[in-house]
Parts: sequence; structure tokens; C-alpha cells
Amino acid sequence: MDIDTNAEEENSRRVQVRFITKLKPPLKVAPTSIAIPSNLTSSVRMSLDNFLLAKAISAEKILEIEYIKAVAPTKHEEPSFHDDWVSALDGSDPRFIVTGCYDGLARVWKAAGVCTHVLEGHSDGVTSVRVIESKGGEGVTVATASKDRTLRLWKFDTEESVNYPMKIRAFKILRGHGGSVQCVAAKKSGDMVCSGSWDCTINLWRTNELDNDGDLVSVKKRKVNDQADESQLEGEAVSTLVGHTQSVSSLAWPEHKTIYSASWDHSVRLWDVETGKDTSDIFCGKVLRCLDVGGESSALIAGGGSDPVLRIWDPRKPGTSAPVFQFSSHTSWVSACKWHNKSWFHLVSASYDGKVMLWDLRTAWPLAVIESHEDKVLCADWWKGDSVISGGADSKLCISSGIYVP
Amino acid sequence: MGVEMKKEKGIKKRNNATEKPQQQQQIPSDSDSDSDSDADYEYEDFSEDGGSDGSLSDSEAGESGESGSSGDEGVANSDVDDGLQNDNGQEDQSDGSESHQGAEESDSSEDEVAPRNTVGDVPLEWYKDEEHIGYDLSGKKITKKERKDKLDSFLESADDSKNWLKVYDEYNDEDVEVTRKELKLIRRLLKGKAPHGDFDPYAPYVDWFKWDDAKHPLSNAPEPKRRFIPSKWESKKVVKLVRAIRAGLIKPDQPKEEQRFYHLWGDDSSSTEKAKHLNFIPAPKPKLPGHEESYNPSLEYIPTQEEINSYQLMYEEDRPKFIPRRYTSLRSIPAYDNAVKDVFERCLDLYLCPRVRKKRINIDPESLKPKLPSRRDLKPYPVSCYLEYKGHTDAVTSISIDASGQWIASGSLDGTVRIWEVETGRCLRNWEVGEAVQYVAWNPLRELPILAVSVGPDVLILNTGFGDEEEQKKIKELLHVETPIAPDDSGNKVSIWLQDDKHEGIRLRHFKKQKQSKSSRSGLREVSSIALFRLDSWGNVSSIAYSSWGCHPKDVTNVAFHRSYPLFASCSDDCSAYVFHGTVYSDLNQNPLIVPLEILRGHTSSKGRGVMDCKFHPRQPWLFTAGADSVIKLYCH
Repeated sequence: MDIDTNAEEENSRRVQVRFITKLKPPLKVAPTSIAIPSNLTSSVRMSLDNFLLAKAISAEKILEIEYIKAVAPTKHEEPSFHDDWVSALDGSDPRFIVTGCYDGLARVWKAAGVCTHVLEGHSDGVTSVRVIESKGGEGVTVATASKDRTLRLWKFDTEESVNYPMKIRAFKILRGHGGSVQCVAAKKSGDMVCSGSWDCTINLWRTNELDNDGDLVSVKKRKVNDQADESQLEGEAVSTLVGHTQSVSSLAWPEHKTIYSASWDHSVRLWDVETGKDTSDIFCGKVLRCLDVGGESSALIAGGGSDPVLRIWDPRKPGTSAPVFQFSSHTSWVSACKWHNKSWFHLVSASYDGKVMLWDLRTAWPLAVIESHEDKVLCADWWKGDSVISGGADSKLCISSGIYVP
Repeated sequence: MGVEMKKEKGIKKRNNATEKPQQQQQIPSDSDSDSDSDADYEYEDFSEDGGSDGSLSDSEAGESGESGSSGDEGVANSDVDDGLQNDNGQEDQSDGSESHQGAEESDSSEDEVAPRNTVGDVPLEWYKDEEHIGYDLSGKKITKKERKDKLDSFLESADDSKNWLKVYDEYNDEDVEVTRKELKLIRRLLKGKAPHGDFDPYAPYVDWFKWDDAKHPLSNAPEPKRRFIPSKWESKKVVKLVRAIRAGLIKPDQPKEEQRFYHLWGDDSSSTEKAKHLNFIPAPKPKLPGHEESYNPSLEYIPTQEEINSYQLMYEEDRPKFIPRRYTSLRSIPAYDNAVKDVFERCLDLYLCPRVRKKRINIDPESLKPKLPSRRDLKPYPVSCYLEYKGHTDAVTSISIDASGQWIASGSLDGTVRIWEVETGRCLRNWEVGEAVQYVAWNPLRELPILAVSVGPDVLILNTGFGDEEEQKKIKELLHVETPIAPDDSGNKVSIWLQDDKHEGIRLRHFKKQKQSKSSRSGLREVSSIALFRLDSWGNVSSIAYSSWGCHPKDVTNVAFHRSYPLFASCSDDCSAYVFHGTVYSDLNQNPLIVPLEILRGHTSSKGRGVMDCKFHPRQPWLFTAGADSVIKLYCH
């Protein structure tokens, strides 16, 4: 049980506590106070004694402890096997999971083991997938980035009931990067995506079909001449954000105006989309390989890199680039980290040591460790709010569900 | 004894034969006379003091044979004489045996019988209350004789005609009878004569001093008067001194304190008179003896037999000069063989090695050490291994990292060339080239991602397939070669380019079995130290090795410099790689700063080889090491 502490009281060596909860009756206990040793250590950062001291809580009151359900998966579903390493996945849409694979295919999964669509077209491994927020309706747009230096946009209908995986071709190919594209992120409104690449740049792209932008005319012409498939469009970058000195490894576009980027040059940069300039830098000292923005008022940056430490920065803190939290229970590189989309405190992180860990910002230790992979875990995400999905070098997509996140 | 006695007797008989008519009755008991000369001298003696002392001559007459010369007294004492002689005869026999015993123990015939008692010169009162009077030579107690009554003793003495000759010897607790010879001696002393008859007090005077040549005869002048009068001037001087002492002008000398003890092993340098001289340098003291030089050192100093045997195997100079031994006592220590030699060598040392005063600057040696920055300040540098690239089945001989740092190529003895993704450790490409790969290298141009591989006698240029279509097109053009028309006339050719369709590359075929194109690497196998060269701004390697030092216990297989970080690394067959920080300053006088940072371990040895190659990531402070255990490891900061 995780313990959510509030309120007060201590009695020399024993503390009067009362357990309260918002849970439903079967999990409720009588609201009487009991005495427990004050040096009891919970999964909270410190012992009760220290906690009281640190919070300067009066010793005369009854400490109210709210208890909640453990944040740990109750169910591990059968892994969904791929042909090759699972390099990327996205679970932002509760209806399906999109995974990217080293065999150049992206797959859409409805549930564990149920593959509905195969997105075919990349000539090299897919490095990143992202569901572009659709404006309602059945049609879903997905962006994938690949080592073949292109991004592709795909459209498919989720409600189509098919018995076998349906093969889909990209409706738009975005060319322009000079190196393998490492990551892609989509704007909330869904009309733009940005991508980071080994050529050290971030490109912004439009996602709309058959746009009337001037720069698309020539592309269309070329498409007509060269491409056999009429429906495939080619797009060029709207703008390029230059500033990173090494490969851009991860991107986040949580707000309309700001893009967060993490790079191998050890920095996290915040870009103003309109001006194309980076507004602030956070230097880390290590190669950064994943980044996500979320948490308290969607402002905290979680990042992991070439060391076993998961770091949380608060960019609102002026004058410092020191992380506000550091979690170092992993034993190898942190390959992915994701905030829970509802909770301010919960994080999932994946590492090359084969473990997926669930974190609460308020505790120093992982809430749960998921060890369903036998090899490096390359990507992890939340799904449906109560599941953690992860893919790794053992070519498995693992779904751990039944996680209670308050 | 018997023989001597007979002889003496024989002589006596002859002598006495002349006197027979006078002393007939004495013949049988005349055994105590010592010798002929004695007998003669006795004659003279007695003739001299014939009528001078009547009282003593009484007794004399009884003993000596000349009683006849003083006839008047001889008659009166005849009775006594008879008894005396009888007694004498008995006594003499016992005396003779006693004297013989005495003679056995002391050589000198002059000495009397050695005292029976051996207690020495101690007051005899100490034994007053004891049963015994002392100890004889064999250590047995000498018991006291029984005390007789005064009456008994008186009666006894009255009966005994010789009683007057007896003397009680307190020391030996026995009655001693004075012999004739002793009697004579006593008599002489009583007369005030020299005790020995031989001594002539009136011998003619011989003036040994030569008076004729004496130039300064002793003055006979009377002492002058002034010698007896106290000196006026002296007393004046004394008065002056006394006044001065009273006034405190003169301080009478304190008696000099003699140092009772002195430091036997003390340093000569402390002696004041020598230290006064400015240039005096005391001789170095030889080493003082320690515990092991003791005659009875404790057991831990004693070398075992094995150690002593091992000394024999050592060089003469290294051999210990002194081997401690144990002796039960100081007395049993043998003479030191090398005493003279040692002293001689010591003198030689002192003489042949002139001592010079050295000017020494007082500097703390710690301050001379270069100040090395702490390792923390030199971060980042590779520290720990997080990623391993597994897939090869034999030792990885060579690795090369793409200019962008995204891919790493490796060649192995299993005949494969692989390309890995640095980030994830995934093997992206795999070529089977058939032969053991010696070396792989990426094209440093990012636009042309091609790979050169040295395989056996050939060099393969491989198209990695990275890059977009245009680049691929360019590469394909570049890697296209027309097949040679006549391969048979290649005898005079060294090498030829061939299209290699299998690996989608071209092959530079060397026809003569020559050395590998990569000759710079061949010498490295034997190098066990690292030489640091100065890289100037033009990239030229200056010919001066800045420093060289050995740290690897085994052969160094490769060294690598980082392109941007001031790092360099070396890897060795001892399965470890060393990372150093190296800074070269533009000031040529300043020594380059080299700080060893980290020892990276993790590889396991295989067939005696450890780490075969090490390369830095072009952008990150990461080190790749290729091990003989077929694993490539990535060490990150």
C-alpha cells in the first residue's frame, strides 16, 4: 500500500495514526486511531519520524494517513510478438497501440496479440511512432520516423473489423532530413508534426492532405512523374530548428507554442515554434535519449540518458539546470520515460537492464518493477490510463494492466 | 722414597763411620739428618756456639752428634737424651712419611709441609663453636681433637721428655714438634744472628761505585740560611692575592668536574674541539652492532639452514657479511676472522672516499610533485560499461566508428564484418567475408558511408547501404569497376581492383602475398609502453615522444585519442583499458599534463589475448573496446 500522508501527531516513540481512504467499503477500515512506531519506514521518502520533523508537524495530533491501492500491475497480458526488435510505441489513444519495429514496419494493435494494421513502407527500422490527435471520427493519423531518413504519415480506420492484419501504405512521405530520423512529436491540434534527426536538426512538417501550400506543387509534380502510387504525397519541412550540435533523440510538443527537445549534446532545449529560436537550455552532462513533459501543471521535464538515472527538471526554476528529482534504481541506460497523462506524480521508465519501473515523484524508490522482458527495453508508455506497455529487444510488446493510478 | 732413604742412609753410614767411637748409640736413629752438607755445617755450627749458651746446648747435645765436644753437660742430660732419641726414632719415622706426603704436593723442597687446613686466612674464632677446624685438601672436614683435661695434659707433658719441643698449632689443631733444624734457626734468631747459617754478615765490601769519574760530587756545603727564612716577597704576593679574592677580582677556580661517564658510541662530530674547524667533516660512523650481532641473539635472528644455503647462491656483494650464531657464553665465541680485514677496509674507505660538504636545499619533496588535478575535475571520461555488442563468434580484431557516431563497424577473426547501432547495440549489417578480418575503417566522409576492410591479402570496400537514394547512387558509381580483361598477365602487377558482387563492394586484390596494407599496426604488438606525441595544430606528429611509461602488465595492443575531449586510452592484453587525461600546452617548456583516470575492466581473456582494439566515440567521451572474448563493450561517462 502506498501511503499518502497528511496531518499530524506524535507520541515520543509512537505515533498516533488514523487511516483514511477514498476507496470503496470493502477496502475501508474503521476510522479509529492506532499507535505505530515512529521509526516505521514506509515507501514514503523517509521514516515517519523524519517526515514529521521535516514537515514541522506538531507532535500532539493524530496523524491521518490516507491509503490507496498499490500502483503495481495486477495482470501481465500475453506478449505480442514482432518479427524484430520493438523500437517505438505509442499508447496515447486508448483504442489501440501503435508500435514501430526494426523490420521497417509499424503495427497497430487493438489488444494484446490482436494486430489490426500493418503500416508498410519504410525501408529501414522505425525509430519512433506518434498518434496525431485526430479531430474525432474514425479516421486516425499516425506519424512514423525511420532510419531511412523519412517520416511517413498513415491513415486508417480503427473501427474496421478485419480478421487479418490489414496492410496500409503511407499517404504522405516527409523527406528532408540528412540523417536517420530519431523521433517524432505531434502538435496537440494535429496539423503539424516535428521530427528530430541525426543531422542535428528539428524539422516541422504539415500533416494535412493535399495542402494548397506553394511548396507542395513541385512535390506533386514529381510524385506524379515518379511514384506509381497516386495517393502518396511528399512533403517538405515547413521550418527547421537548428541549434543542437548532435543528434536530436527525443521531442515533446505538449503546448501549442513550445517544443521540448533532448539531444545527444547533453542538452534539453525549449523552442519557440513561431520564432524558431530556443528559449532556454538545460544542460545535463549526459547524453539524453528520452524526454517527456508532464507532471505538475504539465511543466516538469523527465529525461533519461546514457546513465541509469531518471532525471526530472523544472524549467520554471530560474538560474539552475540541476534536476529537481533523480531516480537511480535502474542499472543501465534509461531508454524511455513517460508521464501519466492524468496523474501529476506518476511516471514510467524503461531501461536497457530489461526493467520497466513505475515511479511516484514523492517516493525515492520505484512503486513497481515490471520484469517481463528478457532483453533491453527500448520503449514504454501508458495505455488506457491503467496499463503500461513496453517493447524491447526481445521483439515483444508487453502489456501490464490493472495499475491503479489515483 | 725407599731408594732415596737408602741412599741417604748409605751416606750417613759412611760419614758416621768416622765418628763411630763417639756416637755409637746414635747411629741407628740418625736418619733425620738431611744431607752431607747439612751434616758438615752442623758440625761447624755447633763447634762455634759450643760453650756460649748452656741452657740451649743441653738439648742440642742430646740431638746432635757432637755432644762429646761439651762433655760436662752431656753427662747431665744423658738420660734425657736417651729418651729423646728413642722418641725421635719413632717420630722421625712418622715424620718421614709425613714429609714425603708433603713433598708430593708441593714442589719446592724449602717449603714446609703444606698446611693441612685449607680455610685460609680467616679468624679461627669462626670455628670456635664448630666440630671441625676446617677442611683438608680433599674437602673433608678436619674434626677437632678432643680436649684434654688440664691435669691429663700436665701429666702427659710431665711424662713426655720431649714436651718442651712441642708447640700447639692452632691452625691445624695439632701438636707440632720442633725439628732440629728449626731449633737451630730459633737459636740463631735469639742470638741476633742471621737466621741462615750461610749468610756471612762480614763479607768483604766491594765498592761498586766509580768515584773517579764523578764530575759533580755531592756538595757537602751546609744549607744556606735563606732556606729557612720565609720569603718576604712571597708573603706580599699572597697578601695581594688574598685582597683581590676578597674584593672579588679573582675568583678561585672551581674544581673541574671530571666527567665520570662518556658516551662510548657517541659521534665524533659533537666533540667541540674538532667542530671548531670549519671544514671538519666527521667520518661516517660504522653501523653499530644490533641484536643480531649479539653472542646470543634471539631465535628470530638466526637464519635457517635453507637461508644459509640460499646465501651461497647470491652474489658476493649481496651476501650478508655476518651470519648471526648462538653461543652459550661470551667465552665460547671464536676469534673474528675478518677483524683485520674489516679495520683495513674501514681505513681504506675513510682514506679513499674524500668527504665533501654538500649544499643541500631544504625543499619538501611533496612540493616538487606535479599538482595533479582531481579526477572529478577532469570529467567526463568513460567510467562504466552499459552496452555490449554481442554477435561475433571469435575475437574482435578491429572496430571503427562512423564519423557521426551513430554506427560502429567491427571485424572479427570469425570472418565477419558487422555494423552495429551504437545506441541500442543492434547488429544492422553482417557480411561474411570468409577470412579473418584484420582491420576495418569507416570512410571519414559522412556523405559516403563506405567501409574498408582488410581481409587476408585483400582490401574490401563495402557499401554499408546507409544514406538516402542519391548518396547510394553515388556510392554505387564509385564502387563500380570494370572487370579486368586478362587476369593472367597480372604477374607483374601488385594489385588489382575487382568487383565483389557478393558483398556489393569492390575488392583490391594483392597478387603477391605481401604484408598488410596497414603496416603501422604491425609494430604495435611488441610495444609495452605508451608514447605521447604532440599533435600540433596542423595535425603533424612531432617526433619527440613527450613521455613514455609502462602501466600495463602485458602488451599494449592499441592506443586511441579522442577527437575533441582531452582523453586518450590504451588497451592491452591484460583485459583492461586505461583512460588518461592528456593536455599538451602551447608553451613548449611546460610539460604535458597526463593524469591516469580510469582502468576499465570487464573483458575476459581468450587465447592469451585481452582487449584487441579501443576507439573513442567521435563526439561523446565514450570508449569502445573490442575484446578477444568476441564482445565489444561501450564504456560511458
